[in-house]
Amino acid sequence: MSLVNTSRKFAQICATKNPILFTAIRNHWNKDFKPAAFPKTQEERNAAAEKYGLISSEYKPYANDGTGMGDYPELPLTSGDSRDPHYPWDNPELKRNFNEPLHADFEMYGEDRYDVMFKHRTPVYKQFFQFTGVMLGIFIVYGVCENFKMFPGLIPKQYPLQGKKHYTFEVEE
Amino acid sequence: MGNFVHKNITCQFSNGYHLWKHPEVTPHPLEAPKNDPLEGFSRPRKVRTMRHTQEELESAKIPLKNRDYCAHELLKFKACRKDKWPFPVFCKPEKHAYLNCMYEDFVLRMKEYERERRLMVREHRRE
Repeated sequence: MSLVNTSRKFAQICATKNPILFTAIRNHWNKDFKPAAFPKTQEERNAAAEKYGLISSEYKPYANDGTGMGDYPELPLTSGDSRDPHYPWDNPELKRNFNEPLHADFEMYGEDRYDVMFKHRTPVYKQFFQFTGVMLGIFIVYGVCENFKMFPGLIPKQYPLQGKKHYTFEVEE
Repeated sequence: MGNFVHKNITCQFSNGYHLWKHPEVTPHPLEAPKNDPLEGFSRPRKVRTMRHTQEELESAKIPLKNRDYCAHELLKFKACRKDKWPFPVFCKPEKHAYLNCMYEDFVLRMKEYERERRLMVREHRRE
């Protein structure tokens, strides 16, 4: 029992005297990241907006349809690739500012992932026609050329020892 | 270059076209000639002879595709290589003889094809 008490005292001393250790142990656990319940009253909405660093008019939670998003705000989708690379971001690797609220699916829209703002050089319907045109063209050329297979003007190779006689072009004396 | 293109591209393409357009006067390259090989010769033609038996070729481990009428030259060439190793460059005469034999075989097959084609043309003209 004395060992438990001693270790608890030691932990308390560490936590109070060492703010980094205190922060690491007492904060930023999974339960701290978990969103709160869906806000029902206006006061709750204001409190949630302030918690996520948004102004109240911009705050819009996800629909309370059982997906478990709670009071997490529904933020506009911007992919890492589409964000301005020349802006002095606080965190240039993620193109993110300090205390900026993250999208709920932030890990899906990084620079190395899917780009929702991507603009194709040619529209997708045109790409479809390009692809089918090329493939069909190749198949048509292939099908037509099946009738015209080139070959050297030779008879098949003659093999002896198969019970068949082969002749040279010389005649016997 | 011109000769190469003519021999390997132009002629072969026209062969393919003729086989499609005039199959009655163009022999198929994968089928053996159907006409009598002795037709039109005043005296019987010389028979091509194989100088080795099946057992000899087997014991020399000559691949199946090489057991043609030049197998005896190939056998000599391989034996020479084995004798002269590690100086196979001294087998140049044997190699030359083998390749010449292959060339002659190729020419003979070309002649046979042309003979078959002309016989087909004649038969078609008679009908």
